[in-house]
Parts: sequence; structure tokens; C-alpha cells
Amino acid sequence: MARLFVFAIGGTGSRVLKSLTMLLASGIKPDPQKEWEIVPIIIDPHKSNEDLKRTERLLGNYQSIANEGGLSNGFFSTKITTLDKLVASENRLSGSFTFNLQQVSNTRFKEYIDFNQLNEPSHALADILFSGSSINKRGEEVNLLDVEMDIGFVGNPNIGSVVLNQFKDSQEFKEVAANFSSDDRIFIISSIFGGTGAAGFPTILKNIRNAMNNNNIDGRGFLQDSKIGAITVLPYFKIEREADSPINNSDFIGKTKAALYYYKDNVTGNNSVNALYYINDDFGGKALVNDPGDNGQKNGAHFVELASALAIIDFLKTPDRDLECAAGKAINPIYKEFGIRNDVAGIKFSDFEDYTENQISLRISQLALFRKFLNEQASASSENQPWSMEKPELGQQFLNDSFYRTNVTEFLSSFGEWLVEMETTGRGFSPFNLNSSLDSLVKGKVVKSGAFSKRVNYGFYDDKLNKHSRGKSYSSASQKMMDLFFKTTEDILTSKFGLKK
Amino acid sequence: MADFFANLYEWFGLIPFYSKDMGDKLRGWDITCTAYSETNWYVMIGTFMIILTVFFYALQYHIIDKSRWNKKQHWWLFALVIVVLNFLIAFTIPFNAIQAEDFCNTLILSVSDCIGFGISNAIWSFILFILITTIPVFRRRFSTNCRETTFWKP
Repeated sequence: MARLFVFAIGGTGSRVLKSLTMLLASGIKPDPQKEWEIVPIIIDPHKSNEDLKRTERLLGNYQSIANEGGLSNGFFSTKITTLDKLVASENRLSGSFTFNLQQVSNTRFKEYIDFNQLNEPSHALADILFSGSSINKRGEEVNLLDVEMDIGFVGNPNIGSVVLNQFKDSQEFKEVAANFSSDDRIFIISSIFGGTGAAGFPTILKNIRNAMNNNNIDGRGFLQDSKIGAITVLPYFKIEREADSPINNSDFIGKTKAALYYYKDNVTGNNSVNALYYINDDFGGKALVNDPGDNGQKNGAHFVELASALAIIDFLKTPDRDLECAAGKAINPIYKEFGIRNDVAGIKFSDFEDYTENQISLRISQLALFRKFLNEQASASSENQPWSMEKPELGQQFLNDSFYRTNVTEFLSSFGEWLVEMETTGRGFSPFNLNSSLDSLVKGKVVKSGAFSKRVNYGFYDDKLNKHSRGKSYSSASQKMMDLFFKTTEDILTSKFGLKK
Repeated sequence: MADFFANLYEWFGLIPFYSKDMGDKLRGWDITCTAYSETNWYVMIGTFMIILTVFFYALQYHIIDKSRWNKKQHWWLFALVIVVLNFLIAFTIPFNAIQAEDFCNTLILSVSDCIGFGISNAIWSFILFILITTIPVFRRRFSTNCRETTFWKP
């Protein structure tokens, strides 16, 4: 099984990774003929970032569900694994999805670079390079050298590029290199208008492409010529104006221009990346809370993050022949953007171009329909329908089991939150009537019903579950749940809602 | 066939729900009191009881076959309909004969005999319905939503 190593940098990285996890959970697969194993590595110095914590929890639940239910059931059918699982012995990694950045917690930047120990020329150079000022987590204006890094680089990529350069000597990078094979690929997610992502992307890219010069790692050849895709997320949301915050809307465009100018020579200009995806949205919408990081930085999910996650799917669909490299350079680099058919405030599936609509509408709707049943009907049907009574049983005991109560419920609750957040953040993505009756779940889709066509309600849903479970054998209750609900929701949505397979 | 149904309804001689004279009438003892030459009601009513019970089984398990009609209370509702109909059929036929005095005059028949035969028919239809719906072969193979439905579950 080929692997995709996904480096998710900063808050945007975590949130795009969350969207990717939702897409994979819904059963979207880049290529039905080829299995991919996804190895996410989240790079963010801000460990208490709520977006990062939410994504980590989500990935943990995904892993547990896939491990218990198996990978052949439609939902959760792409393997997601932590880096430490790839390492056979002498496991020195923590088993989490996050990259362990050293010496950033409770550390000022000048302590990190041993500013006071530098010789005179280096001291003077550092003074020039980091001469600006910023605002710390207590709202006080401080010199850039005095910035505390445990809430990230708060819009200062010049600091981030220094700190993140430790990546090349990290245990994580050594493990990636040691386990990287010629079929594997790399994808880097970053935003361009902040600090961590803007600095991290070129730094990581450079270290991968210069792997041949790094004597600390194995598998250097594979890594140098690896197929690398990346998405660089341009400004896509507004934040509230705060006088004592180091982050301002007005800086976003300037920082973006500066970073793009740098990328022109060091990323795109030197063909370092095989496929680069750009995305932005100037819709704006309601401004997000201005939180540089000290209050946990919990931003609502945004449609642009979902579209960014689709870039990863698109990258995996790209044939190997289009991603060839020679001496660490992409032979035919690809550049892509994303667009929708209708410029509307609340996006429905029909506002996508056909390709995108066909790619995601059915699968995401399936997960939404699955969630709705579990929330509203599972308890009522669990002891009195053949699909739940037959072995392996999906009765009350199963519903009280930790697999269901913790992993499935928590995951689907996050899925619901994610959908609700996307409805209200920026350009809303609201393809579902989440609190309506079953037959009006998918906006813009009229359910066929009449004298000879049954209405879609929970009785109909149970009928379909009974039909799809008849005569089937399953290896476990969890496998049965995933397989049965995938087939049933697919049947209902294609036959009654007219969604295309 | 006639003996088979006669034995069933007369409970193999163990539980007489009705008199021996009613048994003779049901076997077809003619109005001239000479031979069993009239309609054998045991066979007629027994066959109809089987058909009716199987029809209602098919109605619940294969024709309606809905997840909202597959609970034990629905089973009991169908059983009630089967029992009532079979009682009425088995009660009405001899009762009409009595009212019309259409039987051998040496036989002593009463309404309680009609009720007894009705109860006997109702009980056998109930037993048959339990048997058909408890043995899993038919419902498991041919029913989608009622394949787990019996008189005690779900």
C-alpha cells in the first residue's frame, strides 16, 4: 500500500486535515483501484491550539473506527496511521499525530537562537533580521526577539523559518525518510498569510528536496525525487480588529505578497513542487474572533478548508507520469486553482461544478444520513429490527459499548459540528437541512414519492437496512454497522434523492 | 383426509368441545339418517382454515412486509384476526344448519356444539399460525422485514 505523508502546518493545516479526515470517513477515495495509507504529521508549535487538539481527537477516533471495523466497508475505508506505527522497532516517537517541536514551550525566540551567546557579527545580523516588534500573549508590545513561541509565530514567518528548520534533524523526518518508498508521495498544507504555515512550507520542502545533502537520514534518493504536492491557502477569512493583537486583516495581503514573492524563486521558480494548489476566497463574511493563540485559537470550519482537502484527493488521483522528478526538480510542475459554478453565500451541492458535485455529494450525504439515523433512530430500532437483532447484534449492548459510545458517537458529533460551522463561517457551505425530516435532508433534492413510490422516513430506512442485511455475514458488529449503513445510505440517496454514484 | 381433520377437531377423542352428534353432522351424516353422504364439513372447514391462516401469514410476512409491521404486537393482531375469522366460520356453518333444521332428526345439536366447534377451529388456526411463524424456514428465506417476527419477539 502506497503512503501519503501529509505535513499539516499551523492552524490552517490542522483544519484542512480535519476536512480531509471527514472526506475519507465518508468513503471518498482518490482511486478505487489503488489503496493509500495516509500518514498525517501536524506541525504547530502552539500545542494548546484548539484546532489542533480537535483534529488530533478526530484522527484518533478515525483510527479506532477503521481498526475495529476494517477498511472494506465504505465508510472509514482509507487507512490513517501515525508515524510511529511505521517503525518496526526502537520506537522513539510518541504515537501522536503531531510533530514534536523542540524548545519552543515557554521559550523566547532570542533564547532559542542563543542570542546572548552569539558573536558580535552574528549578533548584529540577528538584530537586523529580527528588528521588528510584535505583541505578546499579554497584549504588551515586545521586540521580535522577545516573542514567546508557545502560541506559534503569530504572523512572523522570519521567526518560524528559523525554528522550523529543526525539522531536518528531527526524529520524525528520519522516520519519514527511512520508511519512504518510490510509490509514496508527500503533501504539504499551509497558509501563506500567517507565520507558521508561510515559514514551514518552503522550509520543509527545501529539506526534502535537499535530502541528498543530509547525512543523518536514510532513503535520501527516494525523498529527493519524491512526488510532492502542496496547497498554499491564501487569505480566506477576516478577523475582528483588535488594537492590542499582533494579527490584523490589513497585514494579510502584504504578508501574502511577500511570501508569494519568496515562493516565486524558492518554490515555484525552482520547480521544487510537482503539484501546487492555490486557493483563496475574498467573500469575507462574518469576522472571526481575533485570537493570536492565547485563548486556544478555535476557529470554525470553513468551506475553503474542505476545498483544500479536495486538493489532496486530486493530487492522489494524478498519475505518476505527471509527477516525475529529476535531481530533485519537478519535470512538469502542475498549478491548480479551485472554483465553483455559482458565486453564492450559501453553497449547496448544485453550486459546484459537476466534477466536484459528483465527487463528494453522495459520500458526504451518506455520512450525514448515517449520523442522522444514529442520533434520531438507533435506540428505537436497535432491539426490534432484523438488521439489529441478527448476529452480530447491533442491540443496546453494542450501543453502550465504548466503540460506539466513544469513537463513533464522538466522530459523528464532530462531523455535525463541522457541518454547522461551515454553514456559518465565511462563505457558508450548507448542503443539508440537518434538523429537518429525512426526506428534506439534502437541499435542492426533491425526494420521489407518490402512490407507487414510498416516502423516505425511518420506517423506509429500516426497510432498507433489513433488505441490505438479509443473508449477509459479518465478521464483527462494528464491521456490520459500517458496511450495512454505507450500502443502505448509498441505496437511499441514489434511488430516492437522485444523487449520482 | 376426513379422518385426519376429524381427529384434529375432536382432539383425538381427548377433549370433546362438542357432542358426538355434532361430529356426525360434520362428517356428512345425511338428513335421512342413512349414510355419510352429505358435505364433509371437517374437510371443507379444515382446508379453509389452513388457507385462511396461510393467507394471513403471507399478508403480514410477505405482502405487507414492513419494518413498521414486524413487532410481536402486530403478530398478535394478525393472530387475533385469524382466530376470530376461523371461529366465526366454524360456528356459522353448523349454526345455520341448526337454524334451518337441515340435519338428521335423530341427532341432538345445540348452539353450544357450534361454539365448541368454533373454538376448536380457532385453536387449530392459532396453533398453525404459531407453527408457520416459529419455524424459521419460510420467514427467514422469503421475508425481509418480518424475518425475525414471532409471537414473543421483537
